[in-house]
Amino acid sequence: MADLRVNIGGLLMKNPVTVASGTFGYGQEYDEYFDIAQLGAVTVKSLTLQPRAGNRPPRLAETPAGLLNAIGLQNVGIEAYLRDKLPFLRKKGCTIIANIYGYVPDDYAELARRLESEQGADAIEVNLSCPNVHDARSVGGCKLVAQQPEAVLKYTRVIRSATRLPLFIKLSPNVADIVEPSLAAQEGGADGLSLINTLLGMEIDVKTRKPVLSNLVGGLSGPAIRPVALKMVWDAARAVKIPIIGMGGICNARDAVAFLLAGASAVAVGSASFRQPDTALQVIKGLEDYLEEHGFSRVTELVGALKAE
Amino acid sequence: MPFVRDCEVLAHQEVAADHYRITLAAPEIAEQARPGMFCMIEVGSGYYPFLRRPFSVERIHADGVSFLYKVEGEGTRLLSRFRAGDTVNIQGPLGRPFPVVSGMKRHILVAGGIGVAPFPALAEAIMAAGGTPEVLLAARTEHLLIGARDFSRMGCLVVLATDDGSCGIKGTAVDLLKQELGTGEGSVVYACGPMAMLRAAHETCLAAGVVCWASLEAHMACGDGVCMGCVVPANRETEAERMARVCREGPVFDSREINWTACP
Repeated sequence: MADLRVNIGGLLMKNPVTVASGTFGYGQEYDEYFDIAQLGAVTVKSLTLQPRAGNRPPRLAETPAGLLNAIGLQNVGIEAYLRDKLPFLRKKGCTIIANIYGYVPDDYAELARRLESEQGADAIEVNLSCPNVHDARSVGGCKLVAQQPEAVLKYTRVIRSATRLPLFIKLSPNVADIVEPSLAAQEGGADGLSLINTLLGMEIDVKTRKPVLSNLVGGLSGPAIRPVALKMVWDAARAVKIPIIGMGGICNARDAVAFLLAGASAVAVGSASFRQPDTALQVIKGLEDYLEEHGFSRVTELVGALKAE
Repeated sequence: MPFVRDCEVLAHQEVAADHYRITLAAPEIAEQARPGMFCMIEVGSGYYPFLRRPFSVERIHADGVSFLYKVEGEGTRLLSRFRAGDTVNIQGPLGRPFPVVSGMKRHILVAGGIGVAPFPALAEAIMAAGGTPEVLLAARTEHLLIGARDFSRMGCLVVLATDDGSCGIKGTAVDLLKQELGTGEGSVVYACGPMAMLRAAHETCLAAGVVCWASLEAHMACGDGVCMGCVVPANRETEAERMARVCREGPVFDSREINWTACP
């Protein structure tokens, strides 16, 4: 059987498949459907220093081959995560990637410090790209950190100095050139990149002539964004030296292989888990089959193996 | 514990214009299901619709479950095309069921339109526990009063209302509730229907000092407490609990748990 192990910037994963933050809760719900310890890692929903109630409903709008959401980072907060959610993941023996969100660099640093000192994670993924925590009513919205390479550099440096855990920066596709923030994260000391967060989108109910989402706009995920994500991974992978966790609309092993070929070292299954809770597990199995069929002995041989002129 | 299963469609009938009942062979799900719980049904095999659709369990049989639904959008339109013998993938049972409150003199079930969907199973459970459900059924017009005869045959007391007065009193489900509740002494109310109706039922019950169990509807992505998409404002002190998930904390809530003024 092919070797599925990967090392993502110091995080050892038994296979290259994790789940996208926000699509898997804190793991426990989906453990009712399959043994989540089989995943390369469990990436938990964004954690903030204080609990957050999130945006008012409606928060969801289904669109062709995708899903628009404006949850607004509803989460239990770091305290309750460490107390109530972490023990389950540890007991299961999961490899944990904790996704964190803050309002200023020091929030992130504080979250990273606590996660490291209380063994709350095996790696940290930094959400610099949530599209749903700003007021969309202002013209042009509010710029995300991930849309400003110099801010990405600053934030990454601050968080880097707070932790020795493997540090991944999750970037936004809502930029003209994904390479710029990718290089900034690398320069700031990131051990890896998570690409991509959701694409900004909007849906309008023409009967009521109102936006469907209470927050007016939201983040688009699902198969609709897969080609966009794939191209961004390919662009970034050729520019940076640090590994990339590729995500965006992955529904099966074939999708996952495409991300690896484009240069991702690992992949995350996102919204597809909502429809089929064990999608990530099926991706792992399908990946094994692919490697065997095509005569690869290690999954790492696929990374960046795209045959492009 | 919920399951994801391919199930055979045992029967699928149009019970009124744009209203259907689908019965599926699903013994494991039937064994775990309780009145008020729901299942997520995969309505198509492609990427549009991408998500499953949530449906309350209408009846629980030994070997399967049925669902009553109204064609509202693309998902239900696709679901309505399945025929007996086809296979449909369902996930469930999910959510918090109706509590069958024992020791009450009156069990009053209030349904607005397709809000009748979870009540056949609840009526059966109440009868099995020795009660006689009073079913207050309201719809736009006579032919949309779904299941009235079934409830009567089952032994429930049935009172009807229509918006156009074509059957029963001319009025709404809440008009019926106000008419039938009386002092409310020894009563428990179960309500399902549009949000405005549930809110009015809640206020009526609150004024009478009667507990009202409301089954809410919401768009859901996962149905399983993960996505945080289906929330409703709740009367909770802490920030983390201020938004309750319809799929996990509900879909059945003590109506006093809901912050009705903050609902959209």
